[in-house]
Amino acid sequence: MAVEISTGLIALGSGLAIGLSAIAAAIAEKEIGAAAVGAMAEKEELFGKGLILTVIPETLVIFGLVVAILILNLAKGA
Amino acid sequence: MLSPHKMSSAIITGPNHVQEAVIRELHNLKILHIVEHSKNELADIGKPMESAARLSEILVKIRAMMASLGIKKDETKFELKRSLAETESTVKKLNEEAGMGIEELKELDEQLSKMRAMRQEIEALKEINVPLENFTQYRELSYFTGYIKNKKLPFLKQEIQRITDRFMLFDSIAKKKAFIALFIDAKHQEKAGEALQKAGFSTVNLSNISSLRGNAAANLKKTNDEIEKLQNKRKSLMKSQEKLAKEYKGFLIASDKFLSEQLEKAEAPLKFASTQSSFLIKGWIPDDQLSRSIERLNKASRNKIFVHFEPAKKHDKVPVKLKNPKLVKPFEFFMDLYSVPSYKEIDPTFFIFLTFPIFFGIMLGDVGYGAVSLALFWMLRRKMPKAKNFLNILILASFVTILFGIIFGEFFGKEFINPMISREHEMFTLLYLAIAIGIVHVNIGLVIGFINELKSHGLMHAIYAKASWIILEVGVAMLALTYFGKIAISPILGAAFLGAALLMLIKGEGFIAPIEVLGLLSNILSYARLMAIGLSSVILAVIINDSAKEFFHQGGFFVLIGILVLIIGHAINIMLGLLGSFLHSLRLHYVEFFSKFFHGGAKKYQPFGTME
Repeated sequence: MAVEISTGLIALGSGLAIGLSAIAAAIAEKEIGAAAVGAMAEKEELFGKGLILTVIPETLVIFGLVVAILILNLAKGA
Repeated sequence: MLSPHKMSSAIITGPNHVQEAVIRELHNLKILHIVEHSKNELADIGKPMESAARLSEILVKIRAMMASLGIKKDETKFELKRSLAETESTVKKLNEEAGMGIEELKELDEQLSKMRAMRQEIEALKEINVPLENFTQYRELSYFTGYIKNKKLPFLKQEIQRITDRFMLFDSIAKKKAFIALFIDAKHQEKAGEALQKAGFSTVNLSNISSLRGNAAANLKKTNDEIEKLQNKRKSLMKSQEKLAKEYKGFLIASDKFLSEQLEKAEAPLKFASTQSSFLIKGWIPDDQLSRSIERLNKASRNKIFVHFEPAKKHDKVPVKLKNPKLVKPFEFFMDLYSVPSYKEIDPTFFIFLTFPIFFGIMLGDVGYGAVSLALFWMLRRKMPKAKNFLNILILASFVTILFGIIFGEFFGKEFINPMISREHEMFTLLYLAIAIGIVHVNIGLVIGFINELKSHGLMHAIYAKASWIILEVGVAMLALTYFGKIAISPILGAAFLGAALLMLIKGEGFIAPIEVLGLLSNILSYARLMAIGLSSVILAVIINDSAKEFFHQGGFFVLIGILVLIIGHAINIMLGLLGSFLHSLRLHYVEFFSKFFHGGAKKYQPFGTME
């Protein structure tokens, strides 16, 4: 199955979009998560708020995914 | 629904001699949320009843015993004779019986750990032919015992020889390291220490075996025998303790509960205001229970008390008891998890009830997965009555999942009917749908925020702070539509809306507010996860199905592997799907939705007598 190089590049681009945004979200969540667990150890009622704070950077991945899909759509158009 | 139970503040006051009767009645009623009095110049806090000290003393004994006998609280049934004297005497008897065992056990454990330490030291000396009594204190002689690496041994000998030739070095070589015992003239102790350090020596302290004599092997056997004897003794002791624990488990749990209740009553006056001959209790009672409670309190105290009550005022810190119909009630769990809404604002539980299962359903959206999770949570609900609310939410969400499964036409990732929207192939339709849901949801939030502000700060502030967001959205929408040529109006109109909205925002929420405009955009885009989580779950399911199909094609033994792939793959995907759908649905409410209106931070209504 021969694929044009431009299609390959588009696929790479969309892979980068989601991969990099996932790494970014992971780095952010790592620190928030650690702090949230620390806070919960002191006060257990903070679970709800800790959970929320921890998943806030998750949005980054969602944006990454949307961008990835948009890029993939370019490939279809081309 | 939408607002909590109406509360009235109540002040109960009376002479000291009816205090106990009032406390008893309040404990039965379980209706008054007591506001603790703090000491001021007018009145001190009350004194606990006389029985409090005795009660807590017995309670401490009971709890200590439960801890050391390893008894956990559960629903064991036990008929307790609810008399304090009898409970106390049984506890005392039990304490003597079990207490001895506990002491003995502690002693045994101590001996055992000492013996084990000794064994370790003897084992190190086993291969060295030096009687144990030689390792004692000398005046003219000092010795070192410990490990060094095998290959360092010649180096060490050389070093020591350089210091003096009046020494004895014993060694036993094992795999990598050698155990050595070095006896040397006390004069050279310091230099020898330095040499040893250079050779990477690690000391073994022989302090535990200073009383032993004779050769190591015999001592080792003796110690081993001793340890075994102790262990056997410990085992039989444990068995008798276990028997004791089994026998008295019900009694201990029941009396713990009974005494805790008594103690709560006895210590209640600590929350009251008191003078020399009277007491005063402040608290909150739900309006619909007010007249009944006052009647019963008056009866219990033979009309010796006075109760003053009035409805909550604007700045009162009212404890909140949420009011919702039975179907919506489980969703109050989410409010407990986050923060209890304050008395004056709209209780969002009903809105969570409306949208949470839908979001969950869109994300999981598969008839098969929905059915599996439904069965799972149904079973769990019977097993874990404590998590009932939480599981009820998930059961409802599973139903909606099946519903969306039919809309998406999915059964374990396979399209079993013609879908209305295919999640696998119509990504963009679903993406736009998700964003549209986001716009609606966020705007519902803004409307609730508007009503909250209207109630607490008046119309103008509500318009500036909340309605301005909606005007802003209209402005942006108009600009976008004119840009794409969908409607034929001047772009100035859209810009005017936008500008006006920004000005109102600055007036309503301060100069920092316009920065939040980007936040609103990201909030709405965040709803794209409704499509994204679902998409990833579908793709994973399709991959699992495809790889299983490969195995099925090969036939024979591979069919079995194919079935295994299907079961394990879908089980993992269901776990991931449940976790993701739950967390992300919850997050859309907590972050995107609540940030538009929610204040929270109220105290939960917890009437006297319901403390755990």
